[in-house]
Amino acid sequence: MTTSPTSDAVLGPRGLARLADAALALAGSDEVEVVVSRSAQAVTRFAHSQIHQNVWTEQVEVRVRVVLPGGRSGVAAVTTDDPARVAAAAAAARAIAAVAPEDPDFPGLAPAAPVGTVPVDEATVGASPADRAGAVAALVAQVPSGYEAAGAYETGAAELGVFTTAGQSATALLSRAALTTVVTGATSSGYAEAGGRAVADVDPAAVGRRAAHKARLGADPVEVDPGTWAVVLEPAATATLVQFLSYLGFGGRAWLEGRAFTSGRLGEAALDPALTIVDDATAPGTVGYPFDAEGTPAQRVELVRDGVLRGVVHDRATGARAGTGSTGHGLPAPNTFGPVAANPLVAPGDGGSVQDLVDGCERGLLVTRFHYTNVVQPLETVLTGMTRDGTFLVEDGRVVGAVRNLRFTQSVLAALARVEAVSAETGYASELFFGGARCPALRLPAFAFTSTTTFG
Amino acid sequence: MEELAALALDEAAGLADYADVRAVTEETESVSVQDQRLDGVERATTRGIGIRVLAGGSWGFAATARLERAAVLEAAHRAHAVALASAQVQRRPVRLTPVPVARGATYSTPLRVDPFTVPLDEKLALLFAATAAAGAVDGLSFARGSTDAWRTTKRFLSSEGADVAQTVVQVAGGVECVAIADGQLQTRSFPNSFRGYCGTGGWEDVLALDLAGRAPGYAEECVALLTAPDLPAQTGTLVLDGNQLALQVHESVGHATELDRVLGYEAAYAGTSFLEPGDRGRLRYGSPLVNLTLDSTTPKALGTYGWDDEGVPAGRHVLVADGVLQGFLTSRETAAELDDGTVSNGTMRADSWAAIPLIRMTNIHLEPGEGSLEELLEDTGDGVFLSTNRSWSIDDKRVNFAFGCEVAYEIRAGKLGRRYRNPTYQGRTTAFWGSCDAVAGPQAWQVYGTPNCGKGQPGQVARVAHGAAPARFRDVVMGHR
Repeated sequence: MTTSPTSDAVLGPRGLARLADAALALAGSDEVEVVVSRSAQAVTRFAHSQIHQNVWTEQVEVRVRVVLPGGRSGVAAVTTDDPARVAAAAAAARAIAAVAPEDPDFPGLAPAAPVGTVPVDEATVGASPADRAGAVAALVAQVPSGYEAAGAYETGAAELGVFTTAGQSATALLSRAALTTVVTGATSSGYAEAGGRAVADVDPAAVGRRAAHKARLGADPVEVDPGTWAVVLEPAATATLVQFLSYLGFGGRAWLEGRAFTSGRLGEAALDPALTIVDDATAPGTVGYPFDAEGTPAQRVELVRDGVLRGVVHDRATGARAGTGSTGHGLPAPNTFGPVAANPLVAPGDGGSVQDLVDGCERGLLVTRFHYTNVVQPLETVLTGMTRDGTFLVEDGRVVGAVRNLRFTQSVLAALARVEAVSAETGYASELFFGGARCPALRLPAFAFTSTTTFG
Repeated sequence: MEELAALALDEAAGLADYADVRAVTEETESVSVQDQRLDGVERATTRGIGIRVLAGGSWGFAATARLERAAVLEAAHRAHAVALASAQVQRRPVRLTPVPVARGATYSTPLRVDPFTVPLDEKLALLFAATAAAGAVDGLSFARGSTDAWRTTKRFLSSEGADVAQTVVQVAGGVECVAIADGQLQTRSFPNSFRGYCGTGGWEDVLALDLAGRAPGYAEECVALLTAPDLPAQTGTLVLDGNQLALQVHESVGHATELDRVLGYEAAYAGTSFLEPGDRGRLRYGSPLVNLTLDSTTPKALGTYGWDDEGVPAGRHVLVADGVLQGFLTSRETAAELDDGTVSNGTMRADSWAAIPLIRMTNIHLEPGEGSLEELLEDTGDGVFLSTNRSWSIDDKRVNFAFGCEVAYEIRAGKLGRRYRNPTYQGRTTAFWGSCDAVAGPQAWQVYGTPNCGKGQPGQVARVAHGAAPARFRDVVMGHR
């Protein structure tokens, strides 16, 4: 690991600034924000235990926000590394701002502020197609006869620079590696994933073994009746609930507009005291940037402490309205959604391993992960979704067999109001509609399943 | 850029067994307001070249936005290197079904008013008038308005000699009303949820919506939902509005009939399908009233184009006839895997120059039956009518689904009666379609755009559409919460 970019492939702080200067130079008396992002992304997908899609892309996007007196603003974005086209985008943004209505609440652009650094891994930045193919081969080698692996291995580097006429100049380089797989047999499937800021965070053979073990354990699932069950949620399943909780309640705009479950409820003991949730883009085990798309340093924000709703995240607009300032969670302008707590972390507990949680379950379901979850009631945090890739019946502290997938329809707040155990081990898991979250496993006494499907 | 595309093709074709190149420029504009405040205006342009090659029996792809000779040549060599790496983990080589070579083909979306030529202040005036009209309704928390425009200019070249130039223009516009009180958040959207109307065409299609004229009625209903009762849990007769049926078709037919899912290629992400290749001509998907088609030529539909991203022409194809599965959405590669003479029906699309083409839905329609909505309700007698999608979820083989809608009405003695809030329903795909015993006719049939269809890794977003008329289903589980 190193803390400075070293690859020839990256633009680096100077290259990012050079593009930004093409827009900042046209500023005159206007306020200008330039967000330069460069990505070099490679994804190797496999199915039926062979590589079937394999892509490499690079692009530079420059996004210019021009703000005229009265808070009138416009945004233009262009994918280019040509300063002349950046200048043209700045002119286009200014033309939009010229006809935009005034915004008396415009909080101004980010001022100069120091930003942190995140570790960068050279081997990940420079990972080759052969490296990824080798990793896939190592994973596939763990798949037993009669089973097949599918999945994706992504490696790459991303750079972000945010520059404002108010004085901010923040740049960062991220490296990222992520491997997910589903191993499928005749009657079952099993899932595993690994990821981090470095390819060394990914052990392909271990990922393959875990998924293959799940798939074998899940063979010949039986149908169980829907209803209220005790559950052990593995980290990936916990992550889905927490990501949706974040989406529905921990953003400052939704909170201010009264459409979040947190609106008017900060300080309330809404969850079990065993739960503490923070958002921290730079904590070990996450893959976030040390500043947001407005250039504000990303703060660690306590969302839930010991079950009490403590806070929400802000960008510059909502931070100004709330009187607290930005917490560094802004999305690129124009942002119609508001700030997002995109890197939620649930604090580990003292419950030991996932197996320890199972040991303490008299009768319930062990859920590997959820699938295609969506919101039914936003204020009540009612979600619906399916289990997939490994759902098991637990009796007297033992997994006694696999069950077919079930649909849950459940208020997350209600489910997390009573937690029997929080594991000490955590996992970083991605979610279909969001990014990743680092979470422990949870044992809950009651979780509502409303129907079943035909397979495990 | 077209010279660079030709250069890329020459280079890639010299390295690989097959190569194709897309040079794409996409312009987008998005305008959003909330009440009388501008929420955001963005104009974006992205352009670049994507190179796909088949070498050693495996695919490789590389794309670059650096539009210079050296970068394009480097991308061609990267694509080749990626393909050779793919071949290290290969069980069987890729084969492609033949396709008539489209030489010098062109397509442009028919339209009257280019949405990119309409001044921004006109668009803002339209949206502010609509949100003001909605906001005049007592009890409404806020109203949002939006317009979108997309123009994709694409040149496709292949080592087989294909040369296709297309320009597709798409527009969107709508209003969303939101009411919040007493722990309830209710939404009513006009003319549909998720950015409103979405179609191929020009600004005239947005103007025809009459957003300001229609918004107050939706605002009033939104406020009324705050105090309406929840739809009671029940199993009974359900009539779905066309806009909800569009999502039902999308999730339980469109994705399920994508041949890459059927063959297991999306297993690790959004999942596969309950269908098997041998189900064609045998599997009963629905009742004999259920007829489903793929039609990438439907005028004004959001998923309409001239050729797909493998140079296969747009067309109309039967998926389900009289309730029996007849076909899939196919590509050249997946059709070849069937090894039975099936060819591509032209559904391969990439969402940008930087992405590979995948099987995508284009326009998938539930064909109309007979009669008006009023006649359908009258014939129904008692039941429940649901409109406008709010929530969607389906398992990873497209069997168990659950949907939520913005509003429900009881059907009593053949007429719409009491209004209910928070309606939901769930079921299993073939049982649900099998319970369909009425589909309204052409006079009630509309096409609904879906601008947010996600698929693939890295994730791609496709703009697709579904035509549907209201239809009736029996013994449906409703009101789960």
